[in-house]
Amino acid sequence: MIDRLQQFFHRVTSIFRRKKLDHDLDAELASHLELAIEENLQRGLSPQEARRQALIRFGGKQQAIEQHRDARGLPGLEVLIQDLRYAVRALFKNPGFTIAVVITLALGIAVNATMFSLVSAFLLRRPVVHEPDRVVVVTSINPARGFLPDTNPVSAPNYFAWREANNVFSDISAADEDRTVSLTAAQGKPQALPAAAVSSNYFDVLGVAAHLGRTFSEGEDQPGRDHVVILSHELWQRRFGSNPSLIDSTIRLNRENYVVIGVVPASFRLLGFTPQVFTPLTLTVADRATSARKDHNLHVFARLKPGVTLEQARLEITNLARRSEQDFPETEKGWSAAVRTLPDFLVYNFGIRNGLALMMTAVGFVLLMACANVAGLLLARATGRQKELGIRIALGAGRLRIVRQLLTEGLLNALIGGSVALVLAYWGINFVATKMTFNEAISAVPLTLDRNVLLFVLGVSGFSAVLCSLAPALRASRTDINTVLKAESRAASAGRSHSRLRTVLVTCEIALAMFLLIGTGLLIRGLYVVEHQNLGFQPDHLLTAGINLDSARYKDAAQQISFVREIIPRLQHIPGAGTVAVTSDLPATGPGSVRVQIKGEADLSTNQARNARDEVVSADYFSAAEIPVLRGRTFTEMDSATSSPVVVVNQEFVHRHLRDQEPLGKQIRLDVTGPTPKWSEIVGVVANVKNYSEAPDEDPQVYEPFLQRPVSSFSIMIRTKADPNALASDLRSAIEQADADLPLLHVMGMPAVIDLQKGGDVLFARMLGVFALLALIFAAIGIYGLIAYSVGQRTHEIGIRVALGAGSKQVLRMVLLEGLKMTAIGAAIGLAASLPLPKVFAAMFTGLLFSEPRLYFIVPLAIIAVSMLATYIPARRAASVDPTIALRNS
Amino acid sequence: MTAAKLDLLQGTLDLMVLQTLTAMGPLHGYGIARRIEQVSGDKVFLNQGTIYASLVRLQQRGWISSEWGVSSNNRKAKFYSITKKGRKQLSEDAVNWQRLASVMSRVLGMQEGGEQ
Repeated sequence: MIDRLQQFFHRVTSIFRRKKLDHDLDAELASHLELAIEENLQRGLSPQEARRQALIRFGGKQQAIEQHRDARGLPGLEVLIQDLRYAVRALFKNPGFTIAVVITLALGIAVNATMFSLVSAFLLRRPVVHEPDRVVVVTSINPARGFLPDTNPVSAPNYFAWREANNVFSDISAADEDRTVSLTAAQGKPQALPAAAVSSNYFDVLGVAAHLGRTFSEGEDQPGRDHVVILSHELWQRRFGSNPSLIDSTIRLNRENYVVIGVVPASFRLLGFTPQVFTPLTLTVADRATSARKDHNLHVFARLKPGVTLEQARLEITNLARRSEQDFPETEKGWSAAVRTLPDFLVYNFGIRNGLALMMTAVGFVLLMACANVAGLLLARATGRQKELGIRIALGAGRLRIVRQLLTEGLLNALIGGSVALVLAYWGINFVATKMTFNEAISAVPLTLDRNVLLFVLGVSGFSAVLCSLAPALRASRTDINTVLKAESRAASAGRSHSRLRTVLVTCEIALAMFLLIGTGLLIRGLYVVEHQNLGFQPDHLLTAGINLDSARYKDAAQQISFVREIIPRLQHIPGAGTVAVTSDLPATGPGSVRVQIKGEADLSTNQARNARDEVVSADYFSAAEIPVLRGRTFTEMDSATSSPVVVVNQEFVHRHLRDQEPLGKQIRLDVTGPTPKWSEIVGVVANVKNYSEAPDEDPQVYEPFLQRPVSSFSIMIRTKADPNALASDLRSAIEQADADLPLLHVMGMPAVIDLQKGGDVLFARMLGVFALLALIFAAIGIYGLIAYSVGQRTHEIGIRVALGAGSKQVLRMVLLEGLKMTAIGAAIGLAASLPLPKVFAAMFTGLLFSEPRLYFIVPLAIIAVSMLATYIPARRAASVDPTIALRNS
Repeated sequence: MTAAKLDLLQGTLDLMVLQTLTAMGPLHGYGIARRIEQVSGDKVFLNQGTIYASLVRLQQRGWISSEWGVSSNNRKAKFYSITKKGRKQLSEDAVNWQRLASVMSRVLGMQEGGEQ
């Protein structure tokens, strides 16, 4: 073993002592011959014969030297070094060519690396918990379709039932991730923070230990012992200066004292969940009641028993869900349950996979085009190098050796391209990271040039090296020495098959560019349509802020109502303020859906059930939002808890649920949480408002008066005469006067709210636009390169044509036609491929409209224009060929 | 190439070189080649040049050492001598070779029908 190591060491060092060793060997072989000749002379041979015999006995000298070199060094490595040295020389010999190749590859790889950093950050980063694949998330499947219906949280009664009945989990915990707490630090202003209420074994199920202090212990989720809190690492750093003595001290949460018992590790972050504060989840008898079944608010995390598979757990939970459905058909009808592993659930629930897959496909195409261009360049150069390669083959270079050498060159090009790409990707990633801040869950995920991205760049570089140099290399290795060495350098026959392959490559590029441009065009058009749609209300000059009334001070409906009654006049007194209203959901921000029953109509089965979006609003909501009232009246101060329940519906409700019959006076019942709902009378009809600002759908909607069904979490809306943001500080102080401990959530103008809602889509479309543009540029470069090269090759032929009387116009037309043929074929293929795109997109982006027939004319025209321009430049050069020069050059 | 001459099996030459150096003491490359030819009764087909690949291999493994010196007829030449490690290796390899050789001769001596 040690002998081998020693030998290996000698072999490696010998590569660097090559000169000395060769010199030594030469001397040794010379002395060998002298000794041999001398002996032969002594045997009486003539000097000539003595020398001849000695040489014969020695055998091939060069062979001996080669054998010696192979034995002492590492032949494979030496060939590689030789190839590399050769490749570097080739690189410097033709810097323009090298720069073109490197830049093309760098751009292609850089966009891929940038996109891949998103994949790495969102899809590949595994949650830092103990054995993440053994942790599962149990969710409910909502029978009413919608966005990701199978990721609904679970109701408390089901959580209890399944916790007690299952045999597949070693431990199970629940978390209400959707809470907000107001934190009042010493002398600070109150601050609203996203919070999670988790059962006491939550961290044990995940297998996460506290970074500082401890996690919850058993019994701390019981009322009376539940005033303990665990902070996120970020909050501890930001708000408490990473102070370790914070443990066991008391902080104010929702006006109550909580003891800080721990800080979670910085690495503990579940994609899509951004609680800053963890408090114990206290579940009471009320949470076991049948009425609590409508409240789907618990994310259930469980750890599989050893040996239990995901499939078994799925089967068991599905059965348990079916049992719930049988026992409580009233509330559970149609509901089912799903089980996913934690990593799988987080990615699925985040809903970013499709978008990323689409982007990666797009940049994959861009990379393919970059490779096609580089392959085209290499093929063009291969023609120039054919003679060189022919000579090398004639001198005994093996074909494998030639392929290997060309691949080494390609690899070197790709690695340099990859390094440049890393620099570009670093910028790209930083740029995307600054734009990816449209919501808390997205900005919580750090985008970096991490190890995955580095590996990816390395892999992609290698892949592109093979992709773009394999075709030229194989072709070169098939070089027929005789034809090559005999043929004239400008022989047309040598170039033809090369340019046929290049023509195919460029045609594919045009097809890809077409496909990408149409796809991007459709997306941008779809987004443009929703961006400029009439939302059904007036978002400008509307200031908004969120309020979350805590249960400590606002225990019941009466207190919530009196708070709203107190603040509305205060806000109206702000100078510059117009109408003021509160609402459970700001317009076009996706209010929740509830089941609706219409009096006098038979109870419909679940899949036919009537659904409507439900919003609780104060009296002046419609005038503040400027939503037109079409029939009847809206709410007044008289519609209070003591008067009979009333609702206002939208036009779509009348159309879809009442079949356009007279709506006023109809009684409907909303299947909302709380005590058995009452029948309410429809007193008015208002115009439709879009469900979401970023989608064109309008669902049936019901508005309930705040005074009759107050909610603890709502938004304030102030219609302003001028810039709404100017009133922000007045708004803050007005609320502070009413309740100094109540934090305001995101105070911003309504347009900003809408921008945040669709921020992702716009960024998405812009990025795709950049990729499609890059694709177009690559296609243009490809066609330019090919035509320019072909014109250069055919200078002689063109010269003859001109000499025989062809006019420059005819030559121009001939070359342009060549380009046009390729463009037309490529464009036709691309067009055909992009015909099904609207359907594909419609499936991926619910709600967006993707019919834009004009694109199918505009894009081909644009592509033809660009490629004609790219062809025209070399074509003009061809047309201006001077026959005397062209023919003399040969 | 004469068919009667033996082609060298992989590794055989290394062993021959070690044995020659043990028997003859320090020798130069030509001397080793000549000696092997003589001992084999010119039955081994050996391009003398091939010996140098074997020599560099043995030297890298530390089984022989070399130094430049002067031959008996006053010519400059590189002399090789076996090291302690080389002797140990030789004794192991020699035993292996003899075992293999006797097995081979028995196998090749088998008569048709399985009887010896």
